[in-house]
Order: sequence, then C-alpha cells, then structure tokens
Amino acid sequence: MTGQHVVFYAFAALAVFGALATVTRRNPVVAAVWLVATFVAVAACYILLSATFLAAIQVLVYGGAMMVLFVFVIMVLDVDERGRVEHRRPSRIARIGYYGSLVASGGFLVWVLLGTLARQYLKPGADLGGRPDFGSAEDVGQLLFTKYLFAFEAVSLLLLAAVIGTVVVARSHRERVKEAVRSGMAPEARVAAGLGEHEGEAGAIAPGGPTPITDFGAPSATGHDGGN
Amino acid sequence: MLPITHFLYLAFALFIIGSAGVLLRRNVLIVLMSVELMLNAGNIVLVAFARMWGNTDGQVLAMFTIAVAAAEAAVGLAIVVSLFRSRTGTDIDDLSLLRD
Repeated sequence: MTGQHVVFYAFAALAVFGALATVTRRNPVVAAVWLVATFVAVAACYILLSATFLAAIQVLVYGGAMMVLFVFVIMVLDVDERGRVEHRRPSRIARIGYYGSLVASGGFLVWVLLGTLARQYLKPGADLGGRPDFGSAEDVGQLLFTKYLFAFEAVSLLLLAAVIGTVVVARSHRERVKEAVRSGMAPEARVAAGLGEHEGEAGAIAPGGPTPITDFGAPSATGHDGGN
Repeated sequence: MLPITHFLYLAFALFIIGSAGVLLRRNVLIVLMSVELMLNAGNIVLVAFARMWGNTDGQVLAMFTIAVAAAEAAVGLAIVVSLFRSRTGTDIDDLSLLRD
C-alpha cells in the first residue's frame, strides 16, 4: 500500500460519495455543491494518471465555469426543494416491476462489465521513463494544434452555435414579440406564430395564473406516476 | 504503480450512479448534473487508457469531451430557463407535449 494507493482510494471514495450525494439530494443547490466535490476528486485522479494539464482544465471548466452556471440558474429559477412535485404513489405491482427491472438491468450491466474486465490483462501502465512531460500543457497542445486541428476548429464552431442557441432559447416571450414587431413581420403571421402583441400581454396578466402562451403547450392534468 | 483497472472501476461506478440519476430523478437540474457525471466517467476512461499506452491522444479527446459538455450544459440550462418561464416548475414529467 503505497502513498499513491492511499491518495487514489481517498479521492475515489470522495468521487463516488459525492456522485451518490449529487443524485440523491433533494435540493439542487446542495447537489451542485456535491458535484463540485466529485469534479475535484476526479481532477485528483487525473493527476495520478499524470494528466496534469487536464486536471487543471477540469477544475477550471467544470469546478469553476460550469458550476457557476448551474448555481446561477438554480438561484435565478428559485426552485423549491422538491421542484414542485405533486406526490401520488403508484400501485405496488407497478413499483415492484419498476424497481425490479431497474435492478435486473443494472445487475446485468455489472455482470457483463466485470466479466469483460476480469478477462483482460491490463498492464499497470506504459513506462514513461523517457517522457517526463507526459500530459503537460505542451504535450497536449502539440497534438491539439497539429493532429487534431480540424476537430479543435469544429469544437470552436460548436461552442459558438451553443452560445447563440442558448441566447435564442432563453429569450422571454416579450422579447420575442418585440423582435417580431421590429423585423416587420405581418400581424397575421405574428398571431399565427403565437407572437401577437396584445395576446402576449393579455396572457402575461391572465387570471389563469403565471403561465402565458408557451412553446410547451398547456400543463398536463394527469399528474405523475413514478418513483421519487 | 496503480493498475489501470482501479480507474476503470471508479469510472464504472460514476457512470452507473449518473445513469441512475438520469433515469430516476425528475428534477431537470439534477438530471443535467447526472449527465455531467456520466461524461466525467467517460473522461476518466479516456485518460486512464492514455496513461496505459503512454499516448496523449486520449487526453486531447477528453479535452474535446469537456468542451462538448460545457456546450451541452449551457444549452440544457437555457432550455430549463425557458421551461421554468412557461411551466413554473422543473419537473421532467411535465414535458409530455410530444406524447399526447
């Protein structure tokens, strides 16, 4: 049991525990904080695999940027602890079938994977004696800007598309109406697209509640049937 | 020297937990976080095999995965915001427009 083992088991345990807590917590904010702990533990595992640059990227992008995004959205949405869940328990047979099939499929997956892994002879790792800079920023960058240059540019395009898509999707109904008016859309066409000026305003203050015309249709009245 | 299998077991555990979260939870935010967990598990496997072969290609691919995960989280959270505006909730079972 070397020091490397101790570090690995400590951080692997933290990663698994953090993942379990992320999935089981009711409050999304608490889950997000546990997710950060998992990401940091995974970054420690990257260092054990001598991927130092990737560990830094993991902490910066996942632990920093993505978590801020998550927590910011949660705070803006002001979600209550249960995410407004109305609770109706399904029948006993439905529950037994639901969880039973879940356990069976999960067990099958475990069985196949462990069986596959047990038959593999995996070397502890290639000898890195000649390459002390394995996984450094220079090492990764060298490959990123030569062999994977096209993929790199494609990812930059993807990120641009994601930014534009995010802005478009997250617009409010009022902004969309304003945009349609500014672009000189015909009034009939606007009404047909659900962007009528008075319609939108009337919907926003309708006595039916705070749900104006939406992209998602009317809320279903069927309630829920399922687990947690 | 740690055997690579240990890292594969860790990635396996994280992936199972993440997929269980996607399947069982109904809060959209937690489902998105579970997807991130699964992507992280894939990254661990990529990096572990990169170490095993002494080859940096796997680490570059893991970087691409991180970039794609960031884009996915941004668009997913935008959809959550739009959803919350219109439905006043983040319950995934409310999204049944295409079903009925």
